[in-house]
Amino acid sequence: MTAPKMIDPRGPRFGAAITTGLSLIAFYLSLSGEELAYSTIVALGVLFFWSILSPETHPYGLVFQRYIKPRIAPPAELEDARPPKFAQQVGLTFALFGMIGGLFAPVFVTISAAFIFIAAFLNAFFGLCLGCQFYLVLRRVGVFR
Amino acid sequence: MDSTLLITLALLGAGIIAGLVYRFFHGRGHKVVGNECISLEKLAVSKNGDPVTSFGKTATLVQFSTQYCGQCPGVRRALAKLEYRHGDVLFIEADITERLNLAAHFNITQTPTVLVLDSAGVIKYRVGGIPKPNTIEAELTKLGVK
Repeated sequence: MTAPKMIDPRGPRFGAAITTGLSLIAFYLSLSGEELAYSTIVALGVLFFWSILSPETHPYGLVFQRYIKPRIAPPAELEDARPPKFAQQVGLTFALFGMIGGLFAPVFVTISAAFIFIAAFLNAFFGLCLGCQFYLVLRRVGVFR
Repeated sequence: MDSTLLITLALLGAGIIAGLVYRFFHGRGHKVVGNECISLEKLAVSKNGDPVTSFGKTATLVQFSTQYCGQCPGVRRALAKLEYRHGDVLFIEADITERLNLAAHFNITQTPTVLVLDSAGVIKYRVGGIPKPNTIEAELTKLGVK
């Protein structure tokens, strides 16, 4: 087994805080019937995809590294990068659900935004990473290794 | 206020409630009934390089961890401190990253999960997540740890 990549756990939480804001805006816009809601979900999807593909170059990560990290104390613990990455994949799945469903009915955009909001909000403000919680459970039922 | 804004605020409220419920239950332990006795042979953990073959004199703390668990090292340090403070307590840690059968047996859905065993190795108490302050100490006291 190769050594897993370790990250500052506050990085993903900072990203989740931004995702919280974006998804709440998308939710509000989709209820108002605004076209912009769909674009916001697409933007969220792109951001999720980006953080899975190349977390080092992700804008959230760069902002965190440059502006937030120098101002806060060093982390008490580093965290394995796998569960947060898995959480991003879950986020991407929800965004894709909204992007594809939204082509047929706007309500799917609303549902997608609501799920992303709940997951990101709990992560950012309560430290509960839903994806991480399901990681062990899903491995146990054999969804992936 | 229009209904759109109201529904959006309701979603925000639902998030806050879910978070508070999580915060309330996370790390809150509960008594374990059923008198299941842990088999050290099956648990097969080692401590300081040697396999663990006997329980602590008065109590044993078992922590289930995974390699990708961010909060496990902190809990490990806290429990190791308890072990150091009370000579009759044994602290052991089982890495279940590659031992999913162990996770299934104890129905572990999150790490860390901590079990408190009595002197005979019977599971008395269980905490999922980071134990709230003093919960483990209180259980140890109940088991007669000085």
